[in-house]
Amino acid sequence: MLPPMPNKNEPATFLASVVFLKIHEFARRPVQEQTRLRAQLEAVVAVAAAGIAPADRVVLDASDGIALVVLGAPRAALATAERALAASAAGLPLAVGINHGAVALSGAKKRDGMTGDGIAVAASAAEFSSPGRVLASRAFRDAIADESPGAEASLVPAGTFTDAGLRTHELYTPDAAAPGRRRRRLNALAAASVVLFVGAGIGMRASSDPRQPRFLDDTIAKVRQSTRDSQAFLRGLVQKAKF
Amino acid sequence: MATRKQARIGRYKIAAELGRGAMGVVYKAKDPVLDRTVALKTIGMGEDASGRSEYQARFFLEAKAAGKLNHPNIITIHDYGEEGELAWMAMELLEGTELRARMQEGQVPLAEAIDIAQQVAEGLGYAHEHGVVHRDIKPSNIMLMKRGKVKIMDFGIARMRASDLKTSTGVVLGTPRYMSPEQVAGEPVDHRSDIFSLGTVLYEMLTRTSLFAGNDTPQILHNVQAFQPVAPSRLNPEVPAMLDFVVARALKKEPDVRYQDAYEMAADLRACLAELRGREPEPEGERSATKTIKLDAEPTRVVAPAAGAIGSDTRLPLSARFDCTAALDRLVTPGRRDAARLRRAPRPVGLARRLLRDPGQRLLFTVALAAAVAGGMIAFG
Repeated sequence: MLPPMPNKNEPATFLASVVFLKIHEFARRPVQEQTRLRAQLEAVVAVAAAGIAPADRVVLDASDGIALVVLGAPRAALATAERALAASAAGLPLAVGINHGAVALSGAKKRDGMTGDGIAVAASAAEFSSPGRVLASRAFRDAIADESPGAEASLVPAGTFTDAGLRTHELYTPDAAAPGRRRRRLNALAAASVVLFVGAGIGMRASSDPRQPRFLDDTIAKVRQSTRDSQAFLRGLVQKAKF
Repeated sequence: MATRKQARIGRYKIAAELGRGAMGVVYKAKDPVLDRTVALKTIGMGEDASGRSEYQARFFLEAKAAGKLNHPNIITIHDYGEEGELAWMAMELLEGTELRARMQEGQVPLAEAIDIAQQVAEGLGYAHEHGVVHRDIKPSNIMLMKRGKVKIMDFGIARMRASDLKTSTGVVLGTPRYMSPEQVAGEPVDHRSDIFSLGTVLYEMLTRTSLFAGNDTPQILHNVQAFQPVAPSRLNPEVPAMLDFVVARALKKEPDVRYQDAYEMAADLRACLAELRGREPEPEGERSATKTIKLDAEPTRVVAPAAGAIGSDTRLPLSARFDCTAALDRLVTPGRRDAARLRRAPRPVGLARRLLRDPGQRLLFTVALAAAVAGGMIAFG
């Protein structure tokens, strides 16, 4: 079968990290509060996204939040989400969903907005999230691992969620203590490997040196002797107890 | 029928014909008893006897309910009755301009549009409080009086209008373009339906566009139920953000998340007006500068759906508050390396890459390797 011909009208698709910042229960709030929260969110995004170069980010409007598309820097996207949450502590109920997926420019001049599954999954994650919480997709965790192997350890499983379209999402949440736990686990493994390899070396050396008594045989003989001594001592005690 | 020229209807002496519709005629009439001039609206009751009695009962019920309404933003109904095949209603004679005519003249200034909507919302709030739902709020049912006063017309007879839409399952009451989604669906409507219709009128005043336009009625009805309107500020940059939210809330497809009370909407509109007046008058230079920046925005932008609705429509418009030109340029005309980088899917991390780039794993590997070498040297060295 021939490969499909590229369609010139087909939008160019990119892979990007999408940070969906959603104001919790936005539609149910009074209009004055909506206005205040929206202005607060825009200020938070301005502060949080300041660390990303303008050429690396696109800001999109959602009716209940803002989606930030970060190009080629998943770790920067995660840091931005965490900065936004930190900055929004004062009365802005922000739920964050992050995904790494396909996005494309939309509109006649490709300058109207963006569309794509990358946005849809980030929005779903934000729907499942609660105020003050970040939920990231499996794809985003993989993107973090690809960019910086080991950094994905900061995202720990949060569960599996099924959205309204019956699509299941495996989501992760940042855990500041997780990298420390991983470091301690790796250090313990390193220490165990030292004990294992060096101990094995000593054992092999001791049992294979012809000038020294057989280390293993001697050890076994000593164990047996001490067992016999213990039995004799116990028997003596039992005899004394009978009298 | 109302087409017949008559000198007197009830006790009212006909002075002139003010207007004529498919179902009836509006006359200017004189009440000889109270010596006042009224508007007399007549409606044909129909030929069919069974249909007529039902129609008549509904008309009198509605007229009675509407007659109890006494509010500065609602037209006063003085009297009602029937004569022959005609049902009639004597109302306050209003001398002003219909909002429809005002909108056709040109753009309604922002403050005026908010003020009109606020007064209509006040009137609706009062009517809803008294158990009356208009069901046909539209520009031609809103009269602009002198000194900025606004009156809602056709209360009580809104249910008897020729503009009612006949569907295969029955009669849907209202004018398609201004109907609420629940009206279109033929579901029972309540006061929140009027709020949606007022939201549509406000939207059209602010943007000078037909919100739920279509080539034919089915298309209009589909748009009422499915089309998510663009925020008014994207079409008219003078619209403040708060007004966007008022319109968005009034136009919610789901009545439960719409304004639950017209007074609540009126209060929000008052707040918008206060905000608008608080920032007026703007220096001329600043105003034109703002316009220039915002008019760059495409008027055909797509609406921003909420997170929950994105599953079905993933399109999100660019934010008007943040400059994204640099990133868009990069995406529209990416360099070769950049294009490859932005299209590359994340690769699984293999052992070699993990050892090279993961410090934790590298430390474990190095220590284990060193211990193995040391163990080997102890064993065989």
